[in-house]
Amino acid sequence: MSTEHVNGKVLKHGTQTRTMHWIHLVAFIVLGLTGIGFYWDIAGIASIFGGPANASLVHRWTGVVFTVGPLFYILLNFDRFARFIDTIGSFSKEDFAWLKVMGGYLPFIKVDEVPAQDKYNAGQKMLGWMIIIGCILIILTGFPMWLWRHSMSAVFLNICYNIHFWTAMIMILLVAGHFFLAAIHPKSRVEFASMMIDGYIDAEISAHHNGKWFTQLEKTE
Amino acid sequence: MTTFAEKEGMTRRQFFKGTGILFVSAVFMGVFSKIGFDAYAASDEYIAKRAAGLYSLDESMTLRKSHLNPEIAQIYKDFLSPGEVKPLTAKSERLLHTRYGNEIPALIEELKNPNATAENEAA
Repeated sequence: MSTEHVNGKVLKHGTQTRTMHWIHLVAFIVLGLTGIGFYWDIAGIASIFGGPANASLVHRWTGVVFTVGPLFYILLNFDRFARFIDTIGSFSKEDFAWLKVMGGYLPFIKVDEVPAQDKYNAGQKMLGWMIIIGCILIILTGFPMWLWRHSMSAVFLNICYNIHFWTAMIMILLVAGHFFLAAIHPKSRVEFASMMIDGYIDAEISAHHNGKWFTQLEKTE
Repeated sequence: MTTFAEKEGMTRRQFFKGTGILFVSAVFMGVFSKIGFDAYAASDEYIAKRAAGLYSLDESMTLRKSHLNPEIAQIYKDFLSPGEVKPLTAKSERLLHTRYGNEIPALIEELKNPNATAENEAA
């Protein structure tokens, strides 16, 4: 962790990354809301989308956006995707040390110094993998429920429904946690603007939260 | 003010990692889709065979329409609409139509006390 004062700004997330994140976020909220409405048969939610039949249509076509959005991003920005996978796929001893102290986020774990992290800390790396796997599971089970429902056995569809529902529930909780840490928690809410607004974050914050990554950035300057 | 930014492009290792994840995802989705499409095709084939079977069974029947079945007509004459063949009487509707959902508790009551229903009808 760098302790010296660092001036300047870091461009953490590019325009296309931020656009994709926004599209995926809005799609996720619409999908989550309509999905919860279907599962617990909440008429109020269906009414927002013009009744159950329309809510169902909105859910399906937003599912298409949820699938195609990241796919386009990956194809058009393969280098960013490759760097992202490289970062979240590399777990070093600093990451395990970060996990041991939970990044200093928990009040009952006393931490003098949090181990220096990559562009994403160990928690974000794990979240990244869970989101990727969750999205694949949700997409894989969602489309058969829409396109093959007349031809598939009830048992197969039931498995799809269950995987779809439970994955969605876990994802909603993960995203809620992600939102809390990225937008509300006083230690890390500065991250919010870098992904949701202009992409920039203070260099000093990067040097503090993502020390390993910032050292690399300094070398490339 | 200094502005720091990541270096564009990717290393060979990053390229292989990114490609690897895409490849594994594509294989996983491809295998799942192949199973799905095969099951879909098999299901279509089954539906086509089943439909053909039902049509051929129907074609081989002597009586192909229920309202031309003399036995059914007789049941109407004797019991459901005494003296004539008249569909949709209260009795035929009650006895021949399937009941669902909210109607089930009343049906259970009726089956438990058939005399009560008969008395109501008589009244």
